[in-house]
Amino acid sequence: MADVRDIMELDQPVTPELTKEAILGADKNKKRLFNAGQKVSKRPEGMHREVFALLYNDNKDAPPLFPSDTSNGYKQTKIKLGMRKPRKWEWMSFTNPARSDNTLFYHWRRPSDETKEYPFAKFNKKIDIPIYTDAEYNQHLTTEGWSRQETDHMMDLARRFDMRFIIIADRYDTEKFPKRTVEEIKDRYYKVCGILAKLTNKKMYTYDADHEKRRKEQLKRLYERTPEQIEEEQFLIGELKKIEARKKERERKTQDLQKLISQADNQGETPRKADKKLPKKKITNPSRPSRVDTSHILQAVETAGIKFPDYKNSGVSLRSQRMKLPASVGQKKTKGIEQMLQDMGMELNPTPSEEICQSFNELRSDMVLLMELKSALGTCEFELQSLRHQYEALNPGKTLTIPAQLLTAGNEQEAVKIGEIIDVVGSPGTPSGI
Amino acid sequence: MSGMLYGGDEIGALVFDPGHHSLRVGYAQEDTPKAEIPAIVGVAPDGGPKLEPEVKVEGSGGSSSSINASQPPTSAAAWKYYIDTTFLHTPRQNMELHPYMKDGMIENWDFFEKVIDYSYAKIIQSESEYHPVLFSESPWNQRPKREKLMEIMFEKYKVPAFFLVKNAALAAFANGRSTALVIDSGATHTSAVPVLDGYVISNAVVKSPLGGDYLVLRARELLEAQGIDLTPASMIASKEVVRDKDKAKYVKKPISFAPTNSWMAYMSKRTIQDFQQTVLQVSETPYEERVASAVPAVHYEFPTGYHQDFSSERFRLAEGLFDHAMLGAGYIASTSAGMCDVDVRPALYSSVVLTGGNSLVQGFSDRLSRDLSLRTPGSMRLKMIAANGTVERRFGAWVGGSILASIGTFQQMWVSMQEYQESGKVQIDRKCP
Ligand SMILES: Nc1ncnc2c1ncn2[C@@H]1O[C@H](COP(=O)(O)OP(=O)(O)O)[C@@H](O)[C@H]1O
Repeated sequence: MADVRDIMELDQPVTPELTKEAILGADKNKKRLFNAGQKVSKRPEGMHREVFALLYNDNKDAPPLFPSDTSNGYKQTKIKLGMRKPRKWEWMSFTNPARSDNTLFYHWRRPSDETKEYPFAKFNKKIDIPIYTDAEYNQHLTTEGWSRQETDHMMDLARRFDMRFIIIADRYDTEKFPKRTVEEIKDRYYKVCGILAKLTNKKMYTYDADHEKRRKEQLKRLYERTPEQIEEEQFLIGELKKIEARKKERERKTQDLQKLISQADNQGETPRKADKKLPKKKITNPSRPSRVDTSHILQAVETAGIKFPDYKNSGVSLRSQRMKLPASVGQKKTKGIEQMLQDMGMELNPTPSEEICQSFNELRSDMVLLMELKSALGTCEFELQSLRHQYEALNPGKTLTIPAQLLTAGNEQEAVKIGEIIDVVGSPGTPSGI
Repeated sequence: MSGMLYGGDEIGALVFDPGHHSLRVGYAQEDTPKAEIPAIVGVAPDGGPKLEPEVKVEGSGGSSSSINASQPPTSAAAWKYYIDTTFLHTPRQNMELHPYMKDGMIENWDFFEKVIDYSYAKIIQSESEYHPVLFSESPWNQRPKREKLMEIMFEKYKVPAFFLVKNAALAAFANGRSTALVIDSGATHTSAVPVLDGYVISNAVVKSPLGGDYLVLRARELLEAQGIDLTPASMIASKEVVRDKDKAKYVKKPISFAPTNSWMAYMSKRTIQDFQQTVLQVSETPYEERVASAVPAVHYEFPTGYHQDFSSERFRLAEGLFDHAMLGAGYIASTSAGMCDVDVRPALYSSVVLTGGNSLVQGFSDRLSRDLSLRTPGSMRLKMIAANGTVERRFGAWVGGSILASIGTFQQMWVSMQEYQESGKVQIDRKCP
């Protein structure tokens, strides 16, 4: 702080530094002295700050030649031998307030500590175990199955073993009293405590012996599983995970399918209607839900097929560039497109005239759509079959007849159907010349 | 106070850890016991004039143990007692050896007191009334014996304070646990003891009689069947170097009398123990002749100078500790855990503490951890804690006692002389759970 003030050439009164003493308010005199000292060593006019700092620093010892840490944080002070008289230790007697008798023990201690209390006595903590009078017992605590003697014995053990119920059960006097389980003892103990607490309006604890018993029984069974059982469990858990994974996969596929269907419904219309619809919408005030709907459909259209990047805004480019398949089209689909193009006897890279370019891209987009539809159809069929099996498994003896229109009967028909679909789906913008 | 930082407060207490193999004695807060005294007492009729040379102090470690006491009713003659290795290992006329332990508990109190006398006189070298005493005991110690021990310590030795802790709990403390399943493999037995918060769950203690002595027994059978001479080193004056498997050539010490049978048995047991500690190994998987014989053999030379290689026998002998269907170490461990409340089982399995001298047999811990992992419920974590050092393993309970007796917060636990005088010995069960 002082340095900064020096650099700024400010001449402000020195604010007291924040030290432990300052906070505690102690050593006020020293502080003043310190401040006074600082005032004395004021930097002469024209002397460089650095030079001054070398001559006078805070603690006014010789300026360091080498950066060193003089605080006693790291440097260990050497033991000064023979400089002072060592403090005495004496073998002396002591009494321990934690003991109920006044037995004297002996230990080494500094005579100066003699008057102090035995330092370990404060660790002598005792748990409060409630006590009851005869009247209290007779009035409130009698129960079936527990005699007064046994209750006394149990409370005594609880006191001796600081409520370690497992040890209490272990040391229970089974000659005089019946053998008790840990739960029985705990139950009785907490009942007694609860009743006594109620009498004095203290906090009371409840203990559910039955629940405890069941919990322990279960725990025991858990621990006593054989390795085979554990293995089986692991196996089953693995299977369950697999089933769940398959279910998720199927759900995903169903969603894809739905997307495709909505696309198939819309794709045919979009290019044509796009021009009409939009102005229409502008006229009829568009309600929010409908807008959401269209955007949803649009999105579906975008995601299926191939989305070719828009080159219009990206400066000069070759038109052939527009025919390049984007990276989002996977290897498998690229292969499929090539295959289909070959089957149709078409070039893989036709001359990219404006028209060809657009049509070619649309064709390939449709091809991808076709492939996706095919695989979706496969999924549907699989699901249909598995549902049928499930149905038959759940209703033995019955068979589920699937309506014919849901079945793809033969290969020929399928081919026709797909052809139809393509016809339906095929974008009308495609010039018939190709 | 620096003691506060570590929670330690040393009050000059002593720790005794009686075992079948030996009694461990020392000061609390030290790393190792001052002495390990064999749990056996030699008794011979006192030969009167012979007394003088025996009493003289010989060197540093072993000083004379002759503590005269008249054996009460049987005979009027004075008896002389021989305690500790140096005195036991010398052949003496008519010296019979007697163990004083049985089943992990003190059986013969007269002999036991002789050993305690010896400990105070020669090892502690201080008066008993200045030092509180912490004793270890086996988890199945009986109430009359606990009371008797307390009585002896207060009445005879006038100790200022006394405490008794189960050795399994101490072994757990020594390994930094207060909750553990302690597997203690000693001389006469191997036991699995669940410890919860420093308290032994006594109804779930499982023990098997397969310990170091069982290995000695099997090894003795094998060696005797091979006709190997087990004459102890202290009977041999000189020996010659012989070739592998050649008959030993040695000269016996000139002794005018025949040593007693009990002495010979004890000494040959020591010999076999050494053999067992150097040679035996537990194989990692259940014993298979083919696997075992592929492991390089171990060469061993007996005190007589006879030496030979031992290969698959090493494994076959040690296998006895594990292959028993009901008594194998892995079995008793899992049985013991299975007898505990389900809620504590995971804690037990996750800290299985291995202690006791016999667990030092090579490969013991690996095999135990394998056997136990086969029996551990699949969802539980199994962790074995076995101190690496020989000393820590053999003296596990003693080290735990040394730690416990020098903890500041423990000092309120002692049964003091005053309490003893007020309430007598019956309070032992209340005070030392
Ligand atoms: N390094 C070792 N290798 C193999 N066994 C050992 C080793 N050290 C000790 N033992 C065996 O351990 C047993 C003693 O174990 P210990 O825990 O001291 O028994 P206890 O607690 O009953 O006195 C003896 O049988 C001994 O042979």
